[in-house]
Amino acid sequence: MAEVRLVDIVKKYGNFLAVPQLNLTIHDGEFLVLLGPSGCGKTTTMRMIAGLEDITSGDIMIKDERINNKPPKDRDIAMVFQNYGLYPHMTVRQNIEYPLKLRGMAKADRKARVQETAEKVELENLLDRRPSELSGGQRQRVALARSIVRTPSIFLMDEPLSNLDAKLRVTMRAELKHLHHELGVTTVYVTHDQMEAMTLATRIAIMREGRIVQLDTPKKIYAEPADLFVAGFIGSPSMNLIDGAVKNGVFRANGVEMPVQLGDRDGVVLGIRPEELDITQDASAAIGGKLYALELTGESTLVTLRSGPVSACARGHADFEAEVNSPCYLSPKDGARVHLFDRDSGERLA
Amino acid sequence: MKRTLNYLGERALLVFICIVVLFPIAWMFLTAFKKPIDAYSLSLNFEPTLQNFVTVFSHPWNLGSMVMNSVIVATVTVAISVPCAAIAAYSFSRFRVKGRKFLFFLILSTQFIPAVVIVLPFFVMFRQLGLLDTRIALIIVNLAIVTPFVIWMIKGFIDAIPQDSEEAAMIDGASRLRVIKDIVLPMAAPGILTSSIFCFILTWNEFLFALILSRRDAVTLPVGLVSFRTERGDLWELMSAAGVMITVPIFIMALFIQKHFTRGMTAGAVK
Repeated sequence: MAEVRLVDIVKKYGNFLAVPQLNLTIHDGEFLVLLGPSGCGKTTTMRMIAGLEDITSGDIMIKDERINNKPPKDRDIAMVFQNYGLYPHMTVRQNIEYPLKLRGMAKADRKARVQETAEKVELENLLDRRPSELSGGQRQRVALARSIVRTPSIFLMDEPLSNLDAKLRVTMRAELKHLHHELGVTTVYVTHDQMEAMTLATRIAIMREGRIVQLDTPKKIYAEPADLFVAGFIGSPSMNLIDGAVKNGVFRANGVEMPVQLGDRDGVVLGIRPEELDITQDASAAIGGKLYALELTGESTLVTLRSGPVSACARGHADFEAEVNSPCYLSPKDGARVHLFDRDSGERLA
Repeated sequence: MKRTLNYLGERALLVFICIVVLFPIAWMFLTAFKKPIDAYSLSLNFEPTLQNFVTVFSHPWNLGSMVMNSVIVATVTVAISVPCAAIAAYSFSRFRVKGRKFLFFLILSTQFIPAVVIVLPFFVMFRQLGLLDTRIALIIVNLAIVTPFVIWMIKGFIDAIPQDSEEAAMIDGASRLRVIKDIVLPMAAPGILTSSIFCFILTWNEFLFALILSRRDAVTLPVGLVSFRTERGDLWELMSAAGVMITVPIFIMALFIQKHFTRGMTAGAVK
């Protein structure tokens, strides 16, 4: 187990600045998720920790040791790749055994360790197969087994579930969570799937254009997004973001009138999560418009209304029914969190 | 009706092309088993004999030494060129070094030079070094001819290997050389084997340099064929028997590699 520190990390590809001055501390035993859209620098950051990518400047410290110039093999890390990175010419057993073989472990010990690890990820019956004879989920398990077989100090996982189907992804997610709980190894996990990030992370680092926009627990990030980007990125369905202005303590937009704690100001974006809105028949409710769409998700119905350019979504009861284009009203629930952001800078105002 | 005519037209064209391509080969195989008196006859009705094969291996033709020369030159060329080319191909495929593309082009551009242009400089160089009519000279020349091509072929195969596996091995604890040995080479093995056989075929069939740079001791099979053109005329039955000796190993290899060869030619193009 180990603490990882990234100190003033800069990564340039020619003239392109991929990561401008990144500072991040990943605590011992923590499950840290690097979350962000494609091209935000999360994979580059992970590859720099792994030693697969040189850093332009800055320091990477593992267990207080500067490892900038250490090759990947000497960093005591294990990595699970998006495309599994298995050795197709080796059997599952040989794949799992390979890191131990490289460390010169005796054959008998290797055999026992492989068996033990395979049982942990339920692969014991597939040990003599080649990766091409396995399903996507089984391959991912082989990659996992190969990474845990030698109990490294740090696990790096680069979108390990993105090639799996939705159902398998949920199962594997739980397995990963359980594995982390069992092994307690510091884990850095890269994903662009906010659901994965929310369910797995101890802390989430949300990245944008090579910078960390917010670093906090999933709960905190969900409850108090640092800016407009985070507010729109986290949550499914995403937070309602309504463009308007504040006057006399009331936020106003087309069809929206909501009391807020902010001085008079133009260019304000109001944010409120769909699950914090009630669907009501009261015409004096904060948000009013015409019903645009009803989407049944199983446990609830997503109700979207529109009023001119303004669109808002609320999570209603699964039995909710109404005619499309009929008048519809939404009001914040008691204690609902209303977020206010500056439209231009995206900065949080309240 | 139109479709049937098209189909028949296509088939007729294919049969015609096959006849044109296969006729000389079939003629060579048949002539190899004919007596000298039947050599010029197109009739299939002749009494087959193996005497031609016995004759080409006896004095004065001594095809045995030529076979030996060809085998040694081709084998040593493959043994040196393929490992060197594999390492070069790996570097071209994986390392983003400045000038990499230009260097790769430079290596390939050696293939654009007509052989006949450089044969004289080679002749002068080997005469100065006292290497004329030696297998070493032929090996050196063949290395220069085939290595760029083999680099290009193997690079195509290595390009197709996902880098994830290599990176995974590096993280698992392997050095770069170990990664090449344990991961890249086994994964590129079909491509490397194909390239080796292709390299062997090219060297085995090489004629021009062997003709100019060898006289007696280092004569290879393709050059040896010329010796069957004597003042008594062209000894077609012996030439054919020697031709069969040259062709059969190549046929067998070609059959073995044709599937991989097509892949090798296209692997780099469609990645």
